[in-house]
Amino acid sequence: MTPGTSRFAPVIHVDNVSKSYRMGENSVAALREVTLSIEAGEFAALTGPSGSGKSTLLNLCGLVDQPDAGSISIDRQATAQLSQQDLTLIRREKIGFVFQGFNLVPVMTAFENVEYPLFLAGAGNSAATTAERRERVRDMLARVGLTEHGQRRPDELSGGQRQRVAIARALVKRPRLVIADEPTANLDSATATQIIDLMHELGRANGTTFVIATHDARVTSRCDRAIVLTDGVLQ
Amino acid sequence: MKWLKFAIANVLRNRRRSLVTILIAAVGTAGVLVGGGFALFTYESLAEMAARDSGHLILAQRDYFARDEDTPMQHGLENYAALREKLEQDERVRMALPRVQFSGLISNGDKSAIFVAAGIDPEGEFSVKGPAMTVVSGSLLSSKPTADGAPEVVIGAELAKQMKAEPGSGLTLLSTTTSGSLNALDVRVRGIVSVGVPEIDKRPVYVTLSTAQHLLLTDKASTLSVYLRDTAQTEAMRGVVAALFPDHAMQTWRDQAYFYEAVRGLYNRIFGLLGLVIVIMVLFAVSNTLAMAVVERTREIGTLRALGTLPAQIVRIFALEGLVLGIAGVVGGMLAAAGISLLLLFFNIQMPPPPGRSVGYPLQVNLSFDLYALTFLSVIALSVAAAWLVSRKAAAKPIVEALGHV
Repeated sequence: MTPGTSRFAPVIHVDNVSKSYRMGENSVAALREVTLSIEAGEFAALTGPSGSGKSTLLNLCGLVDQPDAGSISIDRQATAQLSQQDLTLIRREKIGFVFQGFNLVPVMTAFENVEYPLFLAGAGNSAATTAERRERVRDMLARVGLTEHGQRRPDELSGGQRQRVAIARALVKRPRLVIADEPTANLDSATATQIIDLMHELGRANGTTFVIATHDARVTSRCDRAIVLTDGVLQ
Repeated sequence: MKWLKFAIANVLRNRRRSLVTILIAAVGTAGVLVGGGFALFTYESLAEMAARDSGHLILAQRDYFARDEDTPMQHGLENYAALREKLEQDERVRMALPRVQFSGLISNGDKSAIFVAAGIDPEGEFSVKGPAMTVVSGSLLSSKPTADGAPEVVIGAELAKQMKAEPGSGLTLLSTTTSGSLNALDVRVRGIVSVGVPEIDKRPVYVTLSTAQHLLLTDKASTLSVYLRDTAQTEAMRGVVAALFPDHAMQTWRDQAYFYEAVRGLYNRIFGLLGLVIVIMVLFAVSNTLAMAVVERTREIGTLRALGTLPAQIVRIFALEGLVLGIAGVVGGMLAAAGISLLLLFFNIQMPPPPGRSVGYPLQVNLSFDLYALTFLSVIALSVAAAWLVSRKAAAKPIVEALGHV
């Protein structure tokens, strides 16, 4: 993957996608025929009121959910026919996640949380890759400013620090795409700004594409592009 | 190694709950091992008792075990002395003892009772009997002739009570000879013995081989009891002796140990069922703990799945936790059981007499490598199986649902 070929190809392409949920007897349409392309390196905000289908679209882009109709491709690879196993392997390789509630593993240290995706990817790990992996984790922790806190458990860290660990975890494997669901909703505004700036800065350095679902106008204002959903329809 | 570290950390997440689970597994394991060890000790004791009684191998004339005799000693061994000499050359054989089995009536002049007698080689016989027979009064037989030439007997305690006999008393033995006529012999009581089973103590009479042969008018022996240095060699020696004397019939102590086989059959069922119940309880305890952990960690499972963890890897995480719980429990249980076994060696605890017996026996619990290995593997296999059962559904749950779990 050289920058020349991938720079303007869409990292994710959502084509005419619909998705509905069953609520008791009724079926509620969450997304209606949404078509969307996000280019490599883009820093996109996905906004809209509650219930507008932001999370649904985000889940579909992150390949943790499947559409009822339409298709989604990642790096020009169609995903409709792929098995759960293949989707898992694509997520493992290409997609990072940042959650609203941080979702760190409480029994792992910050270092181990960041190391986990690399650990998964390097199934056959020799001593050389172990050393390399450690180095990458240390580097990543340094870049989110947590060099000193590597051996702490998540419950010993503040909210902002936890979200930094989560960002480091999402970016450590150098994914093509990072999916962030309300990453600042549980943070105070100063920390929220820092977190968004950090994501922006690291994303730009690696050429990583970000899709960030948010309510927060300050977040939206810092993004390259705002995608607005209302009642499951793209505006 | 990393996965194992993660599993241990997860087990320690809810220390109290894990500790209770481990304790249940440990107590269960100890229960299985102590129960099983006690059964093994009982089998071993009964085996020793049976082997002391009958000999490890019983060599006889070809038809001895298969057909009833028409007259006493019809199927007797003529060449027992030569057989004995040949057998005792083998260093695995401790002794080969000829016996004459006969029965008849014993009388004190006023009343009679049935006796079952053995004509024996006294020095050898009483040394192999060892603790299985205790002398109540008087002394054991000797092969040396008595001063006045009167034949002597040793009789069972209950029989002595019936005959109102004590050491020095005179009694008369009445039995059928090899020619089918009756013969009587005046004897003097030399000692009174007990094997601890009142029913058996009502019948036995021991005389020397020559006294028995004299009474029955024979020069044969009924059987030759082969005593080995090691009970475990019984089967191997059976082949050796059978090859040596192909014209003779042979049984092992197990063929004659009806009580041993009956107890073994009963205990195998009792302790087997008990073990099964305990193992199932351990399975439930581990399943329950891990099922709670799975529910509590549904969101974490969703997160790990989103990060690219395969469902099989999620199941593996829980299986390793089951393994950690299982190993901790089973090792704890094994240490406890081994401790109990050792303590029982130092503190002599007496069990009450079993049904039909008049004396108790020391409580001991055998340490068996096979039993420990089998228990270790079963508990661990079941813990892992429990983990697999309770986590495979959660691992396959849709990620969005798992992440939305509260």
